[in-house]
This record gives sequence, C-alpha cells and structure tokens, in this order.
Amino acid sequence: MILTGPKIHEEVLNGNIVIDPFDPVQLNPNSYDFRLGSKLKVYKNLELDTKNENETETIELTESGIVLYPNKLYLGHTVEKIGSEKYVPIIRGKSSTGRLGLFVHITADLIDIGYIGRFTLMLHAVQPLRVLPGMRIGQVTFWKVFGDIKLYEGKYQGSMEPAASQVYKDFKLKD
Amino acid sequence: MILTGSKITEEVRSGSICLDPFEESLVNPNSYNYRLDKDLVEITYNVDDIKLLPIQHKLIIPEEGYVLQPNKLYLGVTYETIGSPKYVPSLIGRSSLGRLGLFLQITADLGHIGTCHKWTLELTVVQPLRVYSKMRIGQVSFWVTEGLELLNGHEYKKEVNSYAKYSEPTHSQMEKLLG
Repeated sequence: MILTGPKIHEEVLNGNIVIDPFDPVQLNPNSYDFRLGSKLKVYKNLELDTKNENETETIELTESGIVLYPNKLYLGHTVEKIGSEKYVPIIRGKSSTGRLGLFVHITADLIDIGYIGRFTLMLHAVQPLRVLPGMRIGQVTFWKVFGDIKLYEGKYQGSMEPAASQVYKDFKLKD
Repeated sequence: MILTGSKITEEVRSGSICLDPFEESLVNPNSYNYRLDKDLVEITYNVDDIKLLPIQHKLIIPEEGYVLQPNKLYLGVTYETIGSPKYVPSLIGRSSLGRLGLFLQITADLGHIGTCHKWTLELTVVQPLRVYSKMRIGQVSFWVTEGLELLNGHEYKKEVNSYAKYSEPTHSQMEKLLG
C-alpha cells in the first residue's frame, strides 16, 4: 500500500518519515516533490569499470544551472534528507521532468528501509537540457512493508552529496 | 505491501518464493541481490519487419569482463532462478550500477505471479561500462497481492506470451502479440 500525501505529512510530524527540510507545498496527492541540490558529480573517464573505483569531479551549480548532455552521466543529489525506518521509499521523476526527457534515476528506484540521507540522483538527458538548482525535479513515494524490519546499514548511509558507485568494493569480498 | 528482507528469507524457506541458489548474504532490507550470468547477447532488431528474427551476437563474458557500449541493447540473464507463486516480483538494477549509468530492464520491471525461471535482463548504458559475470548486478523485490484466488482456473497462458519457459537471454517475441 502506498501512502497518501496527507499520511506522508502525518508521518513526517510523527517522526516515522524524515523529509528535511519539509514544506507542505511540495506534497502531492500520493508523493512528495524533492528538489535538485547544488552539487553534481561526473566521472573523469568516459569508460567506466564496475571492478575499480571510477574517479569523479565535482561541479558546483550556480543560479543559471547547467546543460546536461546525452551520453554523459551526471550524479546529483536531493536538497532534502529523506528516509524512513517504517516505510520503503520509491523515487521517480515528476511527469514534468519525464516530459523533458530527463531520467532522475537509472534502474534503481527502490530505496532501502532505514536509509536516511540525501538521495543520489542519476541524471541522464535524452536531449540536451538545462537544469537549475532548487528545481522540483522528482518525487518520492512511501510504501508499507510486510515482515520484520532490518534497517539499512550499507555503504551509502547518510550521504549528504552525490555518492559515486562503490560497487567495486563487492569484488574485494569473498565470493 | 513490499516484503522486507526477513520476510523474503522466510518465504524462500517455506517455498513461497523461488530464489535459487539462495544466499543470505545477498538479502537487502527490502529486496534480494541477483547476479549476472555469463551469457550475453548483443541484439539488433529488424527495423522493417518486427516479425523477423533479430540479429544476435552471442558471447560469453570472459574473466576480464566485457565493455558494454552506449546506444546498443544487450540481453543478459540472471544467474538465479527467480519467481513466486504467491508474490509479484519486481526486478530492477542496484543503485550501485545505476550510479554508473547502467539500465537494467527497460521500462518493464514487473514479473508475473506463478513463473519461476532465469530472467532475461535488458541492459543498456549511458557511458561505456565494463561488467563481469557473477557480479551482483540487480535487485528483486516481492509484493503482496490482492485477489490471488482469482488466479485459480485462469493460469497464465504460458504458451502464448510467456518467457517463463526460457532460462537464457531471450529476444522479444512481440510478433506473437500482433495476432
């Protein structure tokens, strides 16, 4: 079951959902709009490798924003710290974003229960597109769970800026 | 409702979820990490006639990995057999791979209740990306349904439009839906 906007509001007030800062203006009938933060990261190399750490460089956005180009991946972040120890968040773009041909996540819309931090956004534009810091770029929904809850304790916990992939760490584990 | 990791483990043990082989270390708070098997197909569909067989370049991902190129579509397959007679599976990539620009499943992440097989993965990348076989590449979640009893006597028409009988990367069979 998915939470309605008023229920999201209630659970933010109860402390069962973290959305910080929270502004009721950004509530939708069954989701909450998050905004694009001012920092982007891009990978230095064109060719990436899942087995090795891929170096990134940081771009600080000014008021005029930045033009995103196809064939390049940009990691962004939400302005808001978001998460819950009771519900599972699922993110997506707003339809206003999709109509511009902008992906705000790539393949992974599902957030682990217990993750609390700024979400890393995986920005990919189908056509060149200017984005602005602070724009309402996506939405988060909250879903009820079935079963005992074990909270997320993973490597991206508590991120405050775009977090590049740490999948290379998997290869160092015993198979 | 989405199943928590503990519930997924419980239901694998009770036989209500099929994840084979199953390893507890691959359980997440509300999903299960699946791995990429070694078979990969670079696929090109016929632009003039959707009913014609696509050109398939089949390969085995070597030890040193394989670099996926942008603007191409690849079909892979999960290492695990995945499914459930009771819950609806939803299969996507991991955020660790999304952060590298890898799409896993293109628009269709929803599985059908009652099927259990190795899922064909639809892979495409934003930037060139080296992947390895047996790496933990995606996650599958399971969802509680309503109206499960209605399935009785209305079994999924496997012969018509199911890919559930396949356990290797399998190209689109859209032609079967064209009538």
